[in-house]
Amino acid sequence: MLRYALRRLPSALLVLLVASVLVFGVLRLAPGDPAVVLAGPDASPATVAEVRASLGLDSPLPAQYWTWLTGVLTGDLGTSFILGAPIATLIGHGLGNTLELTVAALLLAVAGGGAAGFALGTARRPAVRGLVGGAVNLALAVPPYATGVLLVLVFAVALPVLPASGHESLLADPVIGAQYLLLPAVCLALPTGAVLARFLATALRRAEQEDYVRTGHGKGLPRRHLLARHVLPGALPPVVTVLGIQTGQLLGGAIVVEAVYAWPGLGQLLLQAVLGRDYLLVQDLLLFAVAVFVVLQTLTDLVQARLDPRVRMGGAG
Amino acid sequence: MSAVVAVRGQVRRVTRSRALVAPAARWGLALVLLLTLAGVAAPLLTPYSPLTQGPEALLGPVPQHPLGTDEFGRDLLSRILYGIRLDLLVAATAVPLGGLAGVVLGVLCGLHPALDVVLQRVFDVMLAFTALILGVTLAAILGPGTAAVFWTVAGINVPLFGRIARDAVRSEQDREYVLAAVALGAGRPRILFGEILPNILDALVVQAALSLSTAVFVEGAMSFVGIGVSPPTPSLGALLRTGATFLDDSPAYALGPVAVVVGLVIGFNLLADGLNKGLLKR
Repeated sequence: MLRYALRRLPSALLVLLVASVLVFGVLRLAPGDPAVVLAGPDASPATVAEVRASLGLDSPLPAQYWTWLTGVLTGDLGTSFILGAPIATLIGHGLGNTLELTVAALLLAVAGGGAAGFALGTARRPAVRGLVGGAVNLALAVPPYATGVLLVLVFAVALPVLPASGHESLLADPVIGAQYLLLPAVCLALPTGAVLARFLATALRRAEQEDYVRTGHGKGLPRRHLLARHVLPGALPPVVTVLGIQTGQLLGGAIVVEAVYAWPGLGQLLLQAVLGRDYLLVQDLLLFAVAVFVVLQTLTDLVQARLDPRVRMGGAG
Repeated sequence: MSAVVAVRGQVRRVTRSRALVAPAARWGLALVLLLTLAGVAAPLLTPYSPLTQGPEALLGPVPQHPLGTDEFGRDLLSRILYGIRLDLLVAATAVPLGGLAGVVLGVLCGLHPALDVVLQRVFDVMLAFTALILGVTLAAILGPGTAAVFWTVAGINVPLFGRIARDAVRSEQDREYVLAAVALGAGRPRILFGEILPNILDALVVQAALSLSTAVFVEGAMSFVGIGVSPPTPSLGALLRTGATFLDDSPAYALGPVAVVVGLVIGFNLLADGLNKGLLKR
């Protein structure tokens, strides 16, 4: 197991390193001089030079990259120009809100998607399979921004029972906080739950055809027992992988859902940074997003290796 | 040798003709064709330009404006029809571009093990930028706009097609027709591009249908959050973005683009599902 982890780690670190160079390059590729943008339209050349020096933009590129990277690794993310606050504080605040949203969505997706997938994979009546399958396909196809708009129309405009947008801390007031959380969490959970349901259903059907399950049928075990003790455990490994990959995608999905519901999370912060040309903030947030994805993917691979000896013994490919 | 080739050809033809027999594929194709036709025939279907402003803003559906008007009195039906045009134009150009680049890179993986390792890491890095994160990155470089959407859609397809092509090449390596070509003295590039590539087309066609659906999805998401197609150009995502701000006054405004986006995404998904069953029998 440890050997597998050690083999998997270098490529994850390499991906992160290359991504950090790319993200750093974003700022240099962008047309226009960030110092000119930051100094404002009427700034004198002297002011622009001053801003450039204060940002460290006058040193050579490799030196700038090194300063940025060592800063990030030691927890010094710099200061946001448009918001005038330390970026670490901004990310910390946004991350709390985004985590609240994604964790709620993940719980809903696992519960709903798991139930739907189990029904879809084991139901014998065609009517049940058709109904659940149709619902899953629909949840998969409707993009979160469309779901978001529809949910607001139904639950905030037509039947005004939930707030249309905004955020209230769950810790300060659990009831009000949950009211604000419900629509965005459902919106983010639907596609994830649908993917989960599909994979679980396929894995269940495949597992039910395995020889050991047929043996169970042959010796007269009740189907309920077979499903719970033999079919489900056999079906879980691929579902774990999908869950890991989907969790990595949630941050991207959060950008859209946070925009629909004006949820003050990392997605909103990132959009604000891009539209306000706050290059350092963009750089830090993009690296953060990529790092989250890579870490989750590596963890998923490790869990997979733990569940399936073939993976950890297999070749490097 | 020729007999074998002839039989293979027949088998292929049978499965290809059966590809669209799956009902899902036919419904998907019908939905996609209907919406595409509506976009292409936009000038015939509506007398209004999507950009001409009118005196009556935020009208509900009336006979002159079947879907109502937007906040500048522009006809919403024409804006949606021209929006379909833009979405499908981006999808139909960016997906083949990114897909082609990915297939070439993926097939090249079969040339040399060292090249395979390098290109695999390249795909890994590209995949680490998930669709919207890549969109934000490109919007930061190019500025928000249709170009950013185009390159995002092209970019996300490179590693997707690349991986499929690479894996397919690896699993075809030891098939008899490849060994036959080797025995006949064909060179490595000739075998990869001349022999193996035509035989993995089915998997690529299925991915293409899925990618078209993703393209519509990504355009909608980027324009909706304000880093994609910008005003006054109509696109489905851009319409949804403004429509979402008038939900109280004019719910019909947002519902039109929602219906079309969902129709296109479902259409392409059904098509991909059907093709998957028909061509790959998975």
